[in-house]
Amino acid sequence: MLLADLIVENLTKKYGDVVALNNVSLKIGSGEIVGLLGPNGAGKSTLLKIIVGILRPTSGTVVLDGIDILNEPEAAKKIIGYLPENASLYTALTVTEFLQFVGKIRAVSDQDLDSKIPESLRAFDIEDKKNALVGSLSKGTKQKVAIIASMLHDPRFLVLDEPLSGLDPKTQRFVNQWITITASRGVTVFLSTHNLDIAQDYANKIAIIDRGKIVAVGELNSLRKMANTKDDARLGDVFLKLTESG
Amino acid sequence: MLLGETALSAFLLFAGSTFLSFSTRFGQSGGAQITEASWGLVLGFYLIGLVQSGFSGAGLPFVSADVDYVFTAPVRTTEVFTAKVLLNSVTTLLAFPPIFFLYLRATFFYDTPVITAVVAGLVTLVFFFMGLLFSADITLAQRSNLGRRMSILKYLLIGLILAASMMPLITLIPGAQSSLLLGVIHLLPSGIVAEITVGLVGDLGIGLGSYVFDFALLLVWLAGFSIIGVTMSRRQFYELLQVTNPDQSDASGNGRGVISKLNPEGKSVWSVVRSKERILMSRTKEARGLIFSALILSVFLVIYSLAGTFTSSPTSFLLILFIIGSFGSGNAMSWIEKERLWILKTSSISLRAYVKNVFLARATPLLLFLTPAIAVVAGLLIPGNLGKPEILLSIVLALIGAVQIAAITMGGSMYFAARYAQSSNDDILAVQAQNLTNIKRFVFQTAFNLLMVGPLMLLVLAAGWLLGFFGIDTLVPLGIMLAIAGLGYSVIILNSVLNRAGDSIRRREDL
Repeated sequence: MLLADLIVENLTKKYGDVVALNNVSLKIGSGEIVGLLGPNGAGKSTLLKIIVGILRPTSGTVVLDGIDILNEPEAAKKIIGYLPENASLYTALTVTEFLQFVGKIRAVSDQDLDSKIPESLRAFDIEDKKNALVGSLSKGTKQKVAIIASMLHDPRFLVLDEPLSGLDPKTQRFVNQWITITASRGVTVFLSTHNLDIAQDYANKIAIIDRGKIVAVGELNSLRKMANTKDDARLGDVFLKLTESG
Repeated sequence: MLLGETALSAFLLFAGSTFLSFSTRFGQSGGAQITEASWGLVLGFYLIGLVQSGFSGAGLPFVSADVDYVFTAPVRTTEVFTAKVLLNSVTTLLAFPPIFFLYLRATFFYDTPVITAVVAGLVTLVFFFMGLLFSADITLAQRSNLGRRMSILKYLLIGLILAASMMPLITLIPGAQSSLLLGVIHLLPSGIVAEITVGLVGDLGIGLGSYVFDFALLLVWLAGFSIIGVTMSRRQFYELLQVTNPDQSDASGNGRGVISKLNPEGKSVWSVVRSKERILMSRTKEARGLIFSALILSVFLVIYSLAGTFTSSPTSFLLILFIIGSFGSGNAMSWIEKERLWILKTSSISLRAYVKNVFLARATPLLLFLTPAIAVVAGLLIPGNLGKPEILLSIVLALIGAVQIAAITMGGSMYFAARYAQSSNDDILAVQAQNLTNIKRFVFQTAFNLLMVGPLMLLVLAAGWLLGFFGIDTLVPLGIMLAIAGLGYSVIILNSVLNRAGDSIRRREDL
């Protein structure tokens, strides 16, 4: 049995009268790739932002590897890597400067930075962009830079919000492969996506959220049973069935 | 808006009284003439502020939505330019009621008809609008491919206009007046408006018809800036939208790309934060605006000390410095627009410490520029006042206080930015600073800053009295004690306000 890496219990987030998250509970085990699916406005980004410490919940708890994020946010942030949707980067810094800055504020040692940055740029095939201003990069290249930045401090838990959004097919495949390799090294990955095929092919577990509530969590087969669909039903059909009935 | 207008009007009614009585204390000639020189200087500073915003890219209030929707629509760029400047002028129109109250106060002082205040206010509005066009032109000119020679000419012209705006101050220096100087001043927009408005409300015995030429000249300035803006907007508009091409971004023009300057090896995280800030300021031309503010402030310090009025009232010097310090605080306001707060909020660093280091990176150049200017002023004023211990003490404390006031107003502005301003996600137009359009917020920020620096001013005010109370023999120990008290107060206030800024960022969920 895998140890649970992330435990979310009874998480609620309200903005005045609007309930963005309603009593959400979730468990994610170490080394799993969990896909978070949901319609637009379901609360995916809100949930991810609470986990990484950008937002504070109205009630509920989030415990990451035994660390309560709300009480010990600094300790929790040291082991979380985060890729936001449409990551906004420092456009007037070069790629190298940006990664050096992020690495430094995430307490990566100078020695590690010296080796990791060139290695990562090579791995992502953007070594020729090392002195390019971030603002001059294409969307796909910016996304690669943001992904590198999320991993510089060797996080044990990776939160990715729509990592494939706006990427061309070649870059999407690259990112998917990278996610798989990262998870194979024991990093737990929690990602939100609208791309159901990707979620079906790469995620160990799927969590479906709709109108602020977790509608279903589990492997694809168990979701199929929940949705009362055929054994070979695509995730898309399962998703629509589960969210329509909500 | 109502609250802001009321507060500003009340402030100007009070400040107008102070201004009018202050301007007649020079004792050089008639009161209204000196009011004209002083008002010309104030208007000149307004222009300087707009030039500064033009340098920082705030001269054109475009947003990212304009790129996708307005610029792709079949609308002429000249129409977009005109519409945007008109939109920017809405806040300028809101300045009319307070300005009217200022002129109204002057009509009471000089016993002139109220209608003159209305006419003066309308003339000033034309000036304000012209200033907006000037600022827009500077922003457009920043991106224009004029070539090296024309670019040098462009900056020379801007420098001349700025220097000319400071000229009225020179007239306050005993013996510095000349007919040539006065003639030049009266050709400049700020001088023209000061001449017309003060002439009207000050009842200098000249009929309204005599100002027709002056008003026509003002309209020529307005037309000139409009034509320049429209012409440039046709050519340069889309350049504003261009993201810097790394092949062209090398300062030497060799096209080799940008050289990474951060070099974190061996540095602490806070040293890297400060380096990052300096790099961002230099590459987004913000450093230019900061140096500009520092230069203006330094020149003002030196010229004002030569005017001889400082020795009669060191606190008036501080009050004016506070106003001038607002120019520097404008740079502090924009700090949060360049931040990517999701990176900071997902790291384990202290946001309080982060804000303080950003402050250090931003304030240090300004203060470093001020220090030599203050040393020059000290060299001018102290020797001549060695025999007047009370004045001497006030001078020394005021000079030290000037640096502290500049730092505190910057810190206060950073706090307000952290509290209310928006972080920009506009990658393409990242260099366009977001204008502060909320007049209420601006009034509160100004009041907040004034409250914070008030004790320092009181310290200078009380210094002479305290010396008289304790005796001349206590000059040195009292001076040291008061200086330490002032410094201690500044450190405590700055620490508190920057801590609040860090806490605001941590708490805000909309950034």
